[in-house]
Amino acid sequence: MEHQLLIQGLSKSFPGVKALDDVFIKAEGGRVTALMGENGAGKSTLLKILAGDIEADEGSFSIDGQAQTYKTPLGAISAGVSVIYQERQLMPSLSVMENIFAGKLPKNRLGMIDYSRLRQDTEDIIAKFGLAIDPRASVGSLSIAYQQMVEIMKAYRRDSLVIAFDEPTASLAEAEISILFGLIERLREAGKIILYVSHRMSEIFQTTDDVIVLKDGKNAGAFMTSAVSETELIRAMVGRDIGNTYAGLDRNTELGAELLTVRDLETDKLQRVSFSMRQGEIIGFAGLVGAGRTELARAIFAADGIKGGEIIFGGEPVRFRSPKDAINAGIALCPEDRKEQGLVLSHSITKNISIPVLDKLLKARFLQTAEEEKLADEAVRKYDIRTPSVDKRVVELSGGNQQKVILGRWTNEKMNTKLLILDEPTKGIDVGTKAEIYQRICDFAKAGIGVIFISSELTEVINIADTIYVMRSGKITGKLSRGEATEESVLALAMKADG
Amino acid sequence: MKKQSALTAILKAKSLTLTVAAAVVILFFYIMNREFLSGNSIRSIMNAMSLSGMLAVGISILLIGGEIDLATGAEAMFGGVVCAAALAAGMPIPVAIIAAILFGAVAGLINAFFVNVLNIMSFIVTIGMSSIYTGLAYYLTNAKGINVSGAFLKLGTTALFGIIPTPFIVMAVFLVIYAFILRYTDIGRAVYMIGGNRAAARLTGVNPKRVTTIVFVNNGVIAAIGGVLLTARMHVANPGAAASGALDAIAASVLGGVSFAGGAGGMGGCFIGLLLLNAFINGLMAVNLPTYFQLVAQGALLIIALSVEYFNARGRQKRVAAEARELMKK
Ligand SMILES: Nc1ncnc2c1ncn2[C@@H]1O[C@H](COP(=O)(O)OP(=O)(O)OP(=O)(O)O)[C@@H](O)[C@H]1O
Ligand SMILES: [Mg+2]
Repeated sequence: MEHQLLIQGLSKSFPGVKALDDVFIKAEGGRVTALMGENGAGKSTLLKILAGDIEADEGSFSIDGQAQTYKTPLGAISAGVSVIYQERQLMPSLSVMENIFAGKLPKNRLGMIDYSRLRQDTEDIIAKFGLAIDPRASVGSLSIAYQQMVEIMKAYRRDSLVIAFDEPTASLAEAEISILFGLIERLREAGKIILYVSHRMSEIFQTTDDVIVLKDGKNAGAFMTSAVSETELIRAMVGRDIGNTYAGLDRNTELGAELLTVRDLETDKLQRVSFSMRQGEIIGFAGLVGAGRTELARAIFAADGIKGGEIIFGGEPVRFRSPKDAINAGIALCPEDRKEQGLVLSHSITKNISIPVLDKLLKARFLQTAEEEKLADEAVRKYDIRTPSVDKRVVELSGGNQQKVILGRWTNEKMNTKLLILDEPTKGIDVGTKAEIYQRICDFAKAGIGVIFISSELTEVINIADTIYVMRSGKITGKLSRGEATEESVLALAMKADG
Repeated sequence: MKKQSALTAILKAKSLTLTVAAAVVILFFYIMNREFLSGNSIRSIMNAMSLSGMLAVGISILLIGGEIDLATGAEAMFGGVVCAAALAAGMPIPVAIIAAILFGAVAGLINAFFVNVLNIMSFIVTIGMSSIYTGLAYYLTNAKGINVSGAFLKLGTTALFGIIPTPFIVMAVFLVIYAFILRYTDIGRAVYMIGGNRAAARLTGVNPKRVTTIVFVNNGVIAAIGGVLLTARMHVANPGAAASGALDAIAASVLGGVSFAGGAGGMGGCFIGLLLLNAFINGLMAVNLPTYFQLVAQGALLIIALSVEYFNARGRQKRVAAEARELMKK
């Protein structure tokens, strides 16, 4: 008999929002069930309930006909449910093997941890997934992508029956994604019940068997992936058609003066990186995770020190000492890691948006809170941030809505930006809003702002940027124009061997 | 987009519980002993609040910014010693006070140096500094303290309308000024941001080291002024004074909802925390509880108050969820 997960009448409210409203879910073993919906539709909330992380207000669920009543993460684990979140749930200072076997470390006869067996068992699992990770490496030293692999291996090790993924590919590059898909394929063959949350259409069609759509916390459709079209899915999620994302863009056609020239830039991670761009130009950076794109962005923004080379901005050589200098010169960096580098989670949307422009909100040394709130309202409107109020703490927003807050911050009207660096700006953003963000990027370009667009989603980079640079191991390995770049040509450059 | 609803506004007033608690404590001791609200007793509560209040203002701001100064009591004491020594050397009062303030600023700079430049945790640095100031003060005063007299005493002993002590007024003024600074200035906001997420604050153009330096220097200066007032009230700068100053101030701040983890809290809560703590301590004396038990009761109050706050927060979440559900059903 196939395994089955059945969720009925699930409801959950937060102050001012009903995150889930009488939701029904049926997912079968040996199939990948996608969970789709706009930002704030309730997907992560559903997974958190499944993980025993938060309690539902109403509703029940059962696995293989057996009613489940657990209310804690431990209960979820023993019921055979593993949830792999957007944020890693690992202990960064412990090793890979200790993380994978956390809660079930092998012991020897004396009751002490049997490290040699631990290492052997971990190596076996790593080998099964065809990865190259040292079991003894501390998890904190791994890239985000590898940390996620560790987490998946942990779920695998627990022999969970239900494995749920919350936007697993958001921080991965193509190569890693294919490893992930290979692994999901294996889980599917093993008859597991797999729930898969993602905003990326291509993945849905590539890996899933069923799709369940949520809208405003309610069921908004259930489909067989093979029998549904992208348009139908979007209509179910957004409630309207959005047309062709890229073809319909109103692009900038006039480039201005030279804006930024980077010559032989060297840092700990970058080797002699050179490129230049003009006002109103959108340049894209593609590459695998760890190729050095984020490091490049941070170096230009003076978030990290540089060792050599030259940056010429607005016609003059510059050497910023801190991000503050860079901001004053008109550079904005919308960082990739919204939790660590971007947001002050315990504070409101308003306060998060106004930080870089606080000095512009002063009048006789006092903050004009009404002005400040206007900025926040503006961002909420521009990016369709789903929230009952601008006073809501950012930690209470859904992942995609948090991302929108960061975008709203760096593109607010007081910023006076000349160069906008967007590092993975559409991470976790739903399809409808993505299309709007693409248009906004083009609008910035039309206003003469130079945009550096870093993304691991290949289709996005090659369709938005005027010029695409491909990076690998801290070096630029190729430059393509929008017309000539294809996924294949970019990937080839991203993986090109040295020499 | 609407401003926050009345519902969330009430929920935000975390200090509501504490205000109620403070009122209950005051009422309880008043019933136990009518003398508790006599002029003398109120005066002594206010006197007690003034030193720990000064220290709590500085400490709250440090805590919000994600730092701590365990030497704040010692800095106050040493500021008092500096002031008294200057007076004893025949310097005019304003000069003596400025000398104390300068000491406070330097003490803050020293803390900031170790934290910013050498990346040592403020917790560790300030334990060390506390010991250094205390030892130095004993050495410099031959373990006897320095007496002060004359017009300087007015700073500590006069009272407005014969009831509100001058040190209390000074403390209240500081409290109000800093409440404004925290709420309505960019530097105030920056303090919250570095306490909430230092890395993110830096990437948004806040200079965390600069802000850290400012909050440490600010704290040193406030502590030193507190020390000057204490010296004036006690007629002596005593190396043993304010030994528990840092811990009392931290207790009051945290009781008032200032987050130990940084990034949250404010002056309003800080004041209520102070009031609750000091009314309680004075109340214990009013009911003649033996000194040792006063210590026990103080500790118990802190722990109970924080636990109550915890359960309250949980209950509140549930209630709100239920209310939200009701609202949605309509
Ligand atoms: N801890 C919380 N407190 C208050 N509201 C919350 C909390 N967690 C989630 N919410 C709200 O519940 C709703 C659903 O959020 P959820 O995170 O489930 O959305 P999602 O479908 O995962 O969105 P995304 O695609 O952006 O990740 C949102 O409106 C969100 O603001
Ligand atoms: Mg989510």
